[in-house]
Amino acid sequence: MIEVVGLTKLYGDFVAVSELSLAVQPGQVLGLVGPNGAGKTTSLRCLAGIIPPTRGSVRICGHDLQTDPIPAKQQLAFFTDEPRLFEYLTVEQHLAFTARIYQVANYRDLARPLLEELEIADKADKLPGELSRGMKQKLVIACGLLHSPRVIFFDEPLTGLDPIGIRRMKDSILKRARDGAAIIISSHLLHLLEEVCSHVLMVKNGRKILAGTLDEIRNKYAELGVMNLEEVFVHATGGADVPPRLNS
Amino acid sequence: MIGTFFFLVFHSWKNRLLMRVRRLKQPKYLVGGIFGGLYFCWVYGVQFFSGTRHFRGSGIPGISSPEMAAWVETIGAAVLALMALTTWIFGNDRAALVFSEAEVAFLFPAPVSRRNLIHFKLLKAQLAILLMIFFLTIFFGRIQGGASAWARALGWWVVLCALTLHGLGASFARSALLDRGFSSWKRRLLILFLLVAVVGSTAWWEMQSLPPIKAGSLSLEDVKLYTGRILDSGPLPYLLFPFRLLVRPRLAPDIPGFLLALGPALGILFLLYLWVIKSNVAFEEASVDASRQMADRVAAFRANRGRMPSGPAKKKRAPFELRPVGFPLVGVFWKNLIGAGQIFTLRFWVIIAAMTIPAGIAMTATVKTAGVAALLQPFVLMLVGLSFVVGPQLVRQDFRRDLPMADVLKTYPLRGWQVALGELLAPVVILTGVQWLGLILCACLPAPFGEHGISFLTRCAFALGLAVIAPGLNFVTLMIPNAAVLLFPGWFQTGKDATQGIEATGQRIIFSIGQMLALAIALVPAVAVFAAAYFLLRLVLGPILPVPIAAALVAVVLGVEAWFGLQWLGRVFERLDLSLESGA
Repeated sequence: MIEVVGLTKLYGDFVAVSELSLAVQPGQVLGLVGPNGAGKTTSLRCLAGIIPPTRGSVRICGHDLQTDPIPAKQQLAFFTDEPRLFEYLTVEQHLAFTARIYQVANYRDLARPLLEELEIADKADKLPGELSRGMKQKLVIACGLLHSPRVIFFDEPLTGLDPIGIRRMKDSILKRARDGAAIIISSHLLHLLEEVCSHVLMVKNGRKILAGTLDEIRNKYAELGVMNLEEVFVHATGGADVPPRLNS
Repeated sequence: MIGTFFFLVFHSWKNRLLMRVRRLKQPKYLVGGIFGGLYFCWVYGVQFFSGTRHFRGSGIPGISSPEMAAWVETIGAAVLALMALTTWIFGNDRAALVFSEAEVAFLFPAPVSRRNLIHFKLLKAQLAILLMIFFLTIFFGRIQGGASAWARALGWWVVLCALTLHGLGASFARSALLDRGFSSWKRRLLILFLLVAVVGSTAWWEMQSLPPIKAGSLSLEDVKLYTGRILDSGPLPYLLFPFRLLVRPRLAPDIPGFLLALGPALGILFLLYLWVIKSNVAFEEASVDASRQMADRVAAFRANRGRMPSGPAKKKRAPFELRPVGFPLVGVFWKNLIGAGQIFTLRFWVIIAAMTIPAGIAMTATVKTAGVAALLQPFVLMLVGLSFVVGPQLVRQDFRRDLPMADVLKTYPLRGWQVALGELLAPVVILTGVQWLGLILCACLPAPFGEHGISFLTRCAFALGLAVIAPGLNFVTLMIPNAAVLLFPGWFQTGKDATQGIEATGQRIIFSIGQMLALAIALVPAVAVFAAAYFLLRLVLGPILPVPIAAALVAVVLGVEAWFGLQWLGRVFERLDLSLESGA
């Protein structure tokens, strides 16, 4: 579903992403983790077709994102941490616009349950400026899911959400995965990633340093007494600079 | 503590300046900086340093006479008094010193006294005052003489400091009154009552002492006499006295006069400072709100590319119903038409056309108004012509507005040229609609010069020709600023990465020159085709009929240019990476 081979992104001499390869199958949720500046967002932006990679290939549902971008983009949705909306379009107009862009003929039938699921059905004629941040996030999700994408990228999807919003978002991600979507999530909230991800890819300085299923990764560090993803992350990325954990 | 504030203000400005200087390492900022620097040197620098010589050399008749100087001083004092009065009538209910959000976060929880916060505010205000003085000295220096430029600048400093201190003191006093149960409306009514009492008593006084005004024979000298007498007699001279003292240094004719006037003015400044500093009014809560509002306004200003937004976004009716299936790029066009606002709906233009065109025809048909209609025609034609040049700068519902959303647009399953076409369509349609309406009016209205003017048939031929060319020409014209946005997003970036300062002015100058040049180059083939087609067809069809035919050929040429331009613009959009500009 998502196949990335040798993805490299350079900014002049600076290597943002180096020879990244990965594959995510339908129903899998891949957690993309790494320290700040590791190249997570740049990788996701390359995978979503926002910026062209310097080298390497990205295939979405069998379509090369560089040479055949339209059918590839037709299958994907990208959610950023900050809701990005057109300030002059109402909720309903956002959905109509998105439907036209993605050619969703029966969008009204799809939009209604989506809006109700996200609890913004009564905000149909509101402008983004009249919505709270959580509501905006929900509208972005409704627009992104309107065309039933088979590939979904989330960049810090839980930023700014309240506990109920976080739970809904987790449920929504798992539901899409169960429905057969291939999902990549970039987040620093490792305990939450443990709840939704089937696989983890750890990057540092633009390079892959660890990859596998959650169990595989835990087992790899089991002999060090590591039990959770946070500890794995600390050992894999921090080295000797990591402060010891305080015992309460 | 004052030392700490100096440190903060000094280093904030120094670092801001250094950041701009470091940015000049990039050629596009360096070139912009050079152009901007030359522009500012030419417009302001030379004027500032040559202003004194210029005025001393020529002078302004009357300004040196004691009567005129007194009159100017009185008017200046009255203006200053009026400005002070408005702060008591229109000012906010609660004292709210506006700090930046960072200042609120660092200073408010810190062990900094209220008095020191006021000192910090006054210190920061000095920077704004100095900048203001620079512009005021240059601007007023052109039309009014006085002491040297430096004395004039110091004079302005006294006036602006007084206004700042008075504004602060008044806001504290308003808050204190409110805390004592004296509501804002009561305060305003009391001020207005006092104002009416002063104006009324002065008017009564003047009616007793001044000769009546003769209707129809009022000269400038009479106006001077009356205003001078009104302001110099009755209770006003006493009320205006402190304000006179404040404006006197600015209006001093020479250095000794300035030094003489400076003492009393500084005395008033000191009294105002004491008033402000001795006020013990809680302003923190209102300041936090005011600071947040200010931050929102700044963000909105930057998001609007240097223009203040007219207000919060309002719901706008869709120009037409967007069906979910069809050319996707129509969705982008539809979205941008909504963004353009209610004024650009089809219904609006049908109503305007239904009102103006019959009115134009009716005016032409009526003998009494035909002359007016004939005068209107060149005016409308001029507006149509101007719309081709100015229109693309005014109607910006395209990449220029959507640049911050470029990342979102790039995830859509559309080719780059499709996005570009969708983005450009809205301004093209809007401008073309306006131009077509203008051209129909031009054809309907009679040409000036009566029988010797242009015939109806000729007018129709030229209007039709221009109408055919208009969409393509608008397309090509709009492509230039849109290409500039995609090629140099750093120049148009919003938020913290936005280019500001002298280099931004220089970049705008370069951009304007580049736009005119690119347009001229784009028009060369179109003009050549028109000329060739017209002169060939003229031999067969006469002088009128070839105009729309040649124009149709020009439209084809412009269409081809627009098509290739779109393909190129689409590729530029696909390669666009805003993250490359963030370090700018």
